[in-house]
Amino acid sequence: MKKQITIALAGNPNSGKSTVFNNLTGARQHVGNWPGVTVEKKEGSCKYKGYSIKVVDLPGVYSLTAYSMDEVIARDFVIDGKPDVVVDVVDASNLERNLYLAVQLLEMKANLVVALNMMDVAESREYGINVNELSRLLGAPVVPMVAARDQGTQELLDTIVDLVEGCREVSGIRMQYGHDVEAEISKLERLLADNSLAGDYSPRWLAIKLLEEDRQIIDKIGKQ
Amino acid sequence: MDSRDIVRVKDESLAHLRKVHGDDAETLIANARYGFISGLIQDVLKKPVVEKQTATDVIDRLMLNRWLGIPIFLVVLYGIFQLAFTVSLPLTDGINAGFDWLARQASGISPTWLSSLVADGILGGVGAVLAFIPVIFLLYIALSILEDSGYLARAAFVMDRLMHRIGLHGRSFVTFMLGFGCSVAAIMATRTIENPKDRLVTILVTPLMSCGARLPIYALFAAAFFTANQGLVVFSMYAIGVIMAILLAWLFRKKLVSGESGHFVMELPPYRLPTVTGVLAHTWERGWAFLSRAGTIIFVVVVFIWFLDYFGTLEYIGRALAPVFSPAGFGQWQAAVALIFGVLAKETVVGTFGTLFAGAEGAGGLGQVIGMELGWTPLIAFAFMVMVLLYIPCVATLGIVRRETNSWKWTCFTIIYTLVLGWTAATLIYQVGSLFI
Repeated sequence: MKKQITIALAGNPNSGKSTVFNNLTGARQHVGNWPGVTVEKKEGSCKYKGYSIKVVDLPGVYSLTAYSMDEVIARDFVIDGKPDVVVDVVDASNLERNLYLAVQLLEMKANLVVALNMMDVAESREYGINVNELSRLLGAPVVPMVAARDQGTQELLDTIVDLVEGCREVSGIRMQYGHDVEAEISKLERLLADNSLAGDYSPRWLAIKLLEEDRQIIDKIGKQ
Repeated sequence: MDSRDIVRVKDESLAHLRKVHGDDAETLIANARYGFISGLIQDVLKKPVVEKQTATDVIDRLMLNRWLGIPIFLVVLYGIFQLAFTVSLPLTDGINAGFDWLARQASGISPTWLSSLVADGILGGVGAVLAFIPVIFLLYIALSILEDSGYLARAAFVMDRLMHRIGLHGRSFVTFMLGFGCSVAAIMATRTIENPKDRLVTILVTPLMSCGARLPIYALFAAAFFTANQGLVVFSMYAIGVIMAILLAWLFRKKLVSGESGHFVMELPPYRLPTVTGVLAHTWERGWAFLSRAGTIIFVVVVFIWFLDYFGTLEYIGRALAPVFSPAGFGQWQAAVALIFGVLAKETVVGTFGTLFAGAEGAGGLGQVIGMELGWTPLIAFAFMVMVLLYIPCVATLGIVRRETNSWKWTCFTIIYTLVLGWTAATLIYQVGSLFI
């Protein structure tokens, strides 16, 4: 029996996300549009260890605010699309900048795998990356890859399957925003706990978004 | 809990945090994330004491040079056009010969009307468009290499300062460059421009970029009228498009949608050696649109034109509109008809001529037949090319303008301003040019 799983592919522009997508799905791709908007939506599929895996390519973004349509699409899919696993493709030679998105995905409690791509570029610049430590600090599996040479694809698929089967878990991070901000977050969190939006979103995340004056979330709450 | 109460509590929290920290909560939260990341980086990343000078740094010192950046960019573009035309010429001739042979075979079909439909209508019209596959694909390959290698981002970077002066952002220039492929795709790419006013103006002027569909028209006339300087003439069309877009963007930004322009950091991804698969995939994405249009809309339109022509209606329509274009030099009914149908898809301009002059083609090819039949001079041909470049965008582009601006007002505005602009420019070129030649 084939089991169906859905993974979302996130990542910054120029992180090699499309290459990872192509490596995962090969020729089994389908291009359409995200509902209601004209942003291109690429989907593909592959079969692995008895699973039928659907791969949804999210728009390349640096962040998950409500400022641009691409970012809203990406985060909406992470929440509403209920993917089994979110793969964040990270450029190992630009780790600091790329991790901003990973942190935001972890704040959303995404079931995250970090695909640490372009390890060859990082190595050529003599960057030493402690992959195990990175994985431990993020509380999420990290898979080193060189997508341009199709290295690491199988390890990535193994990790995805491990997460789905529960052999590995994403413990995630507990971001601390400082004493004062945390106090306001808890205040809002309590108010939001019995809000109907709290079914889809965690109250803490909603509270953070409110403090960030996130247009989309404020509108959603206003409509209640 | 009432949602209004939640929003009220949120506003209180924000006010409180601003008072305590002097910063927006948004900034505080972002700082916390950056703090977390830089702490993490300390633990996991060891960089060499002296950062290795990367190849990207070395190349960029030249490419992004204050004085050399823009000239280098222009030379790169010009080189691409020259190369695309020189290499594609024998291939284009070959395809033309193939379609001529097919048309000769088809002329034996009976009844006569059917052989005329197949030979003149379909093979003449669609064949005239398909003959430009080589040059279009070569150009798309070049565009894909520029994009995949990371050079396109540099081109946008060197133009950024100029773009700021006209009230736009370098990202708008990336859109312009993508418009060399297809306006529809380019306008969709404006979603990366965060400032709504910047985005609107970019959408309005992007149709002025010379897309792949206009290329057959330039190639046709450049080969027939400017044999010695084909590459230069076609390059000038692209340049006129960019210059017009920049001028009008400046005008619109000043008069129609004034206001603060967005400031962003221009990303400069490292140079990458484009992979063969990547370049081929991107070229195919762009080229397939052209091919499938030749098989669908262009096919339907040339058959339709053939019918109108067969029953004499076409000339009637053309003659009614032709006087409008007389001041620009191309007041012949055939040209008027080509321009009307060109709005459905710009390649149709060539397809229309192909259908109308099928069979009359001598050794000189379609372009020279047009020159002889319509009595066109190089000046008229140039004015016509400028008209085709600037006038009403194709319906697919108008559709995407409508969808992305979500406004019929701006769509109609686009139709009107491009028509006025195209007609005025063509007329000026013809009238002023006639004084000297």
